Amino acid sequence: MDVSMESAVSGAAGQLAGRPLDEWNAAYVKVENYFHALRVRNKALLGQLVLRVLERAMRRAPAEPDRSATQLAAEEMDRLVIEWFAAVLQESPANADQMLTTRGRLALLLADMPGRWQEQFLRPGPWPPEFVSAMSETYFRAGPDFQLSKMTPRSLDLGPITTLTNLGRLPYVRMALVWIGFALLLIGVFWLTHGGFEQTRSRLSSLIDWFTQFYR
Amino acid sequence: MAEAPIISATAPRRPHRGWRLFIFYSSAVLLTGLVSMLFADLLWRTGWSASRTMLLTLFVILFLFIAIGCMHGVYGFALQMFGTRQRLTRLADYRTQTIAGISTAIVFPVFNENTIRVYEGLRATYESLKKTGELERFDFFILSDSTDPDKWVEEERCWCDLVRDLDALGRIYYRRRLNNEGSKSGNVRDFLNAWGRRYRYFMVCDADSVMRGETIVDLVKLMEAHPGVGLIQTVPGVVNAESLFGRIQQFANRLYAPLFIAGLNYWALDLGNYWGHNAIIRTEPFMQFCDLPQLPGRRPFGGQILSHDFVEAALLSREDRGIWFAYDLDGSYEEAPQSIIENAGRERRWCQGNLQHSMVLFAKGLRGLSRLHLILGICGYLAGPLWLLFLITFNWIHWYQKNTGLSEITLPAFNPYLANWSGTAHALLIFVICMAVIMLPKALALIDLAFDGARRRAYGGLARASLGVVGETVFSTLHAPLLMLWHTRFVVSNLFGVSVGWSPQKRAADGTAWVSAIQRHWWHTLVGLIWGVLMWRLDRTLFWWFTPVLAGMALSIPLSVFTSRRSLGARARKMDLFLTPEETAPPPELVALRASMKVHELTDDTTPRRRHAGLAEAVLDPYVNAIHVSLLREKQLNPVYAEELARLGAGSEAARALGEKLLAQGPDKLTAAERSLVMADAHTLVWLHQQAWLRPDELLAPWWKAMIREFSLREL
Repeated sequence: MDVSMESAVSGAAGQLAGRPLDEWNAAYVKVENYFHALRVRNKALLGQLVLRVLERAMRRAPAEPDRSATQLAAEEMDRLVIEWFAAVLQESPANADQMLTTRGRLALLLADMPGRWQEQFLRPGPWPPEFVSAMSETYFRAGPDFQLSKMTPRSLDLGPITTLTNLGRLPYVRMALVWIGFALLLIGVFWLTHGGFEQTRSRLSSLIDWFTQFYR
Repeated sequence: MAEAPIISATAPRRPHRGWRLFIFYSSAVLLTGLVSMLFADLLWRTGWSASRTMLLTLFVILFLFIAIGCMHGVYGFALQMFGTRQRLTRLADYRTQTIAGISTAIVFPVFNENTIRVYEGLRATYESLKKTGELERFDFFILSDSTDPDKWVEEERCWCDLVRDLDALGRIYYRRRLNNEGSKSGNVRDFLNAWGRRYRYFMVCDADSVMRGETIVDLVKLMEAHPGVGLIQTVPGVVNAESLFGRIQQFANRLYAPLFIAGLNYWALDLGNYWGHNAIIRTEPFMQFCDLPQLPGRRPFGGQILSHDFVEAALLSREDRGIWFAYDLDGSYEEAPQSIIENAGRERRWCQGNLQHSMVLFAKGLRGLSRLHLILGICGYLAGPLWLLFLITFNWIHWYQKNTGLSEITLPAFNPYLANWSGTAHALLIFVICMAVIMLPKALALIDLAFDGARRRAYGGLARASLGVVGETVFSTLHAPLLMLWHTRFVVSNLFGVSVGWSPQKRAADGTAWVSAIQRHWWHTLVGLIWGVLMWRLDRTLFWWFTPVLAGMALSIPLSVFTSRRSLGARARKMDLFLTPEETAPPPELVALRASMKVHELTDDTTPRRRHAGLAEAVLDPYVNAIHVSLLREKQLNPVYAEELARLGAGSEAARALGEKLLAQGPDKLTAAERSLVMADAHTLVWLHQQAWLRPDELLAPWWKAMIREFSLREL
């Protein structure tokens, strides 16, 4: 650590670096939560890392009175992590873009930082060569190289089905359907007037009789 | 991996199928003809009428269905007993084939599935394949079509865990589509368009598939030994059932299926069928011939082909590519529904898909046998409504006869041997024949088992297996009327273009909840009770004849609940009932799968997840965010996906504005489409991750504060 805690925390009673203690407590929780999300499980290490971030935030605090301790700590945490990714992955932090943080986090996961290299996380170099190579050589591929092609449906002559599905669109089919309906109506009238009416009535009445008996 | 060489298709040698087909189906027709004559004679004795003509017609159709089923059992039994050379594994010595330099993709299309189960199945398959020493010839692909953002994130996270566990980065891949065009067939087509040319073969697995490594290698060798073959379908054994229903279905599948498939192979030979999974496919002809067209007209018959597998097989056959059943290859497994209701849900989807096949039935150029496969599929669902119609017509005739006071038997039987038989005895004879035709394949399966000592022991001995068959028969007798009513409803709904609603069922800890059973079965019970009361009043003798049908309906609620119980399944297992070979001597793949699932069951957090938990994870978790963003960036390399992302609005100012709204107001203030856009935009997600952790609490919606707190308390 390049800045002593004492110089950073000097200030009025109940305050640290010009901010109320509660604010720093909230900042501590925020930073701790993020490192917890990164699976830094060792409590001692976790506490040490959080304090390191807070120390950086406290240094900035007097110069930026409008910003809360949590904001400062979160920004410092972000910067510290990006700087460390840049150093480990040998990229310039000045050019750090979204790619670097994503790549860095992915490298941490694939190199199994939470399982094997917790003590190296955010530690200044030099790092063990095995760790550096695990971080920088990990590659992440969700699929092999594309070899694009384009399947195209072959025409399928559905035979009479095509004709049937097209029938409804033809105007004369609807006309023919009306005629068929009319013919069926005529057949129905013929049947009813030639004994069908009596037959239906007799069947219906016997059905009603049966139900009547049934309910008695 | 090098590009797969294009194989020049050699004209395959066609087996002599004509006689087989003629003999097989003639047997079914002959049997149907003889029994139909007896039935017609019975109807003639009671006086012919229009309704009797209808009844006879229905009888002929329905009996033909069961006769065809019976013949599959009979021919299958004969082939099992006497052997046959006409099966793919016997046509050439495939085992000496080398598969060096052959690349095969094993794909797992998934759609909002149980992620843990899918990945553990894949793990079991992967590890089994590793043991063969041929792993480097295969790549695995998880092809996600999941629409639920929580599933999407879970799949990515679990995929990363899996590849790290197995050290399989660059061997197991994950790809999620940005849209669901074409459902499963579209999902596979998308894979083929992106990577198909890299692989000579691809194997399609279902979300619940598990394959033995040796079987996969054998399938590739078989493909190499038979260049004219386009697709080999294995016969997956149903495994891992725990409920009573599941174990009964599993037992039936494992005991009867070998005979039926042997019978099917007898007449189908190289014009077999594809069941959509646990099959290996030659990539090049599939890509060339099997992109499915949209059907004309409106849904449910028009539009996208739902049950694509049968049609793809038909299209491959049309181009002279052989389709074989490798029914004698073990080591192919799948799981099945665990309750009557889950099973009906699957039937509903299959019914719609099979009925839609009527649209392609008359397509020009299809092979006759492909049409036959389509017809058999359609008939499987038409049988339900036809049976119901048969029963109603029969009841109508009986009521009419009784009500008019006409004598029941007016004439002696035409058949001299039955001349002195009463009508009841005549009817009983027909009933006994029908039952014999239904039961014969089951009896033959038992006889087949009796001759094979190892198999017999695997089923817990002949006595236990016989008890199992009796139990299965009793259950299927009660289950059949429910399927009849459901199939009728599905078919009628489809014909009228109405989709049958099917909300997810409520599950109790041990199976179907009573509430859910009542919701699904109240109308079955009502039909059963009303029908039963009417029959009791009409004719008490006839009522007793109908009791199996009526009991299935009237008791549907308790039947559904109790058979879904895992405790009853376990009790039956303790009694050595419904045992299957995979239960008595589980293969290593299934042992590994069960062990991993048990670990998950004991250790996984089972508390219900908060709404939008996947979104929270993708934003807040530094690793999940990195995985998600990296996968999105990789998509940009494919012009098709890049175009789709641009079309969605990824990378636009609008996406960033939605991100801001998400932070300030929470996910509930965004529509599902807006949340999907945010999830599909790599830049916004990286920005969100940073902002969610950097912003002071007062600038974040309360939901974020709650999620961050939850996150900090979680054991990561």
